[in-house]
Amino acid sequence: MKKENDIKLGVSLYSYQDNYYFHRHDLEGCLAAAAGAGAQGVEIFADAMIPEWPYITDAFIDKWNGLLYRYGLEAVCLDHFSDRAMWKNKQLTDDEMFERGVMYLKAAKKLGCKYVRILHNEHCGIGVSPYVLTTPAIVERLLPIAQECDVIMALECHSPTSVDDPVHEAYLEVADRLNIPNVGLQVDFSTYEYCMSTADITYCVYNGCSRHVLEYLRDKQREAYFEGRPFIFDEIKDDFKNMDLNEHDKEYLDMSKHAYGSSIKYGGVIQYNGQYKLIDWDKAYKTLKDYASKVVYVHGKFYDIDENGQVDNMDYPKLLTALKEGGYKGYICSEFEGNRRMNVAGWVDEISYVNKHQKLMRKCLGYE
Amino acid sequence: MYDPYILSEVGSRNVWEAGKKVGYAVNLKINYYRGLPLSCVDEISLWVDGEKVDPKTMYIQHRGHEYAYEDILKDDFPTDFYWVFGELLRVVVKKEGGIEQGPHKVKVVLGTRRSYTPTMVATCEKELIFA
Repeated sequence: MKKENDIKLGVSLYSYQDNYYFHRHDLEGCLAAAAGAGAQGVEIFADAMIPEWPYITDAFIDKWNGLLYRYGLEAVCLDHFSDRAMWKNKQLTDDEMFERGVMYLKAAKKLGCKYVRILHNEHCGIGVSPYVLTTPAIVERLLPIAQECDVIMALECHSPTSVDDPVHEAYLEVADRLNIPNVGLQVDFSTYEYCMSTADITYCVYNGCSRHVLEYLRDKQREAYFEGRPFIFDEIKDDFKNMDLNEHDKEYLDMSKHAYGSSIKYGGVIQYNGQYKLIDWDKAYKTLKDYASKVVYVHGKFYDIDENGQVDNMDYPKLLTALKEGGYKGYICSEFEGNRRMNVAGWVDEISYVNKHQKLMRKCLGYE
Repeated sequence: MYDPYILSEVGSRNVWEAGKKVGYAVNLKINYYRGLPLSCVDEISLWVDGEKVDPKTMYIQHRGHEYAYEDILKDDFPTDFYWVFGELLRVVVKKEGGIEQGPHKVKVVLGTRRSYTPTMVATCEKELIFA
């Protein structure tokens, strides 16, 4: 569906991973589902849904273009991965990492994607990834190639980082220095989780945690968010003493077991130094608005949708208003990640989740 | 990821050669949200009816090729043989006489490297019917 809004809505085909994994839908089925949700564009993981990857034949491109035409979609983004630890005892050199980066950029051009989500070294913050991923020095070498391919490398600012985190700056500085603007910031809504998701509860209960313990924790996190105060775990930790905790509960509630992460437990983000900062939510939305005009791409991440049609642990009306008022021009792609948390308990209807999510985003943006 | 589903109910069977059972096969799906090169497989360990399978007797069949399991772990294995997302990877255990037809308890531990987080290790145990 072609629409000329500043903010366009798309779907990451990652959202349909179970349909693909369990062979209910092939690539065409996933594209049809995205079109059915009302999306204008799609993001694709070559590593997941291009069977001949790491190669792409002309025959595949013909098929891809035909499918996009048939379903009225455009290719938006290709996801790059940094598989540095290619072997058990040997890693890719920087030269080889660069070559693989080129491979993804060229693939994006072939597929008609304007953006490549680049898996940069600080994707998960500092000190989380066990290997060195794609560094500013590698991005510097990739920039002229990106320019040649007319592709923009999107730095995914994923939890526990955010768009204003200084860890992303080195990449933007390289672009400034070379005067090649083919790298920019990508928002991922994982930064803005104010409580654990019901999808997380399903997963943790499958792994042995007690539902009532986690639901209590989640209720307290929500209470804090909607009352406009930070959630401080220490203030409620004594409440769990009378709850007859099993081993899994104890492990989940043990702060030291969470090396890094989002707001799942703490209502704050654990920083790289092992400390966690409490999020001032009003400030977080304002910062997002301030950065919005500089952002090149957005992952509309979500895990579950509640009975009111809202994402159950992120404030979509506020997030989308911040992007809109801040002047964001580009795509927000639905990135449903509840599948792999909830599929332990049975089939997850990803298509219906994405449909609801697109509807929610259209509502938030005033499109319907 | 996908822990309960990595051991496929499809295609567990004896392997026959020249009228004799020479081994048996199980099929695996990847424990990840995308495909990976076979060189990123860190570990496949198999137990059948509680007994650990000797890795030296394990072979990996993928898209018309067969590799000794220990070869895919080597540091010079090609990087462009992708175990695609959702695709079955056939693990053949070479064993004279194969396996008795019918149900057997199978356990697999699958480790895959994705570099941006520590290696993912999935465990799956289920009863499979061998043909």
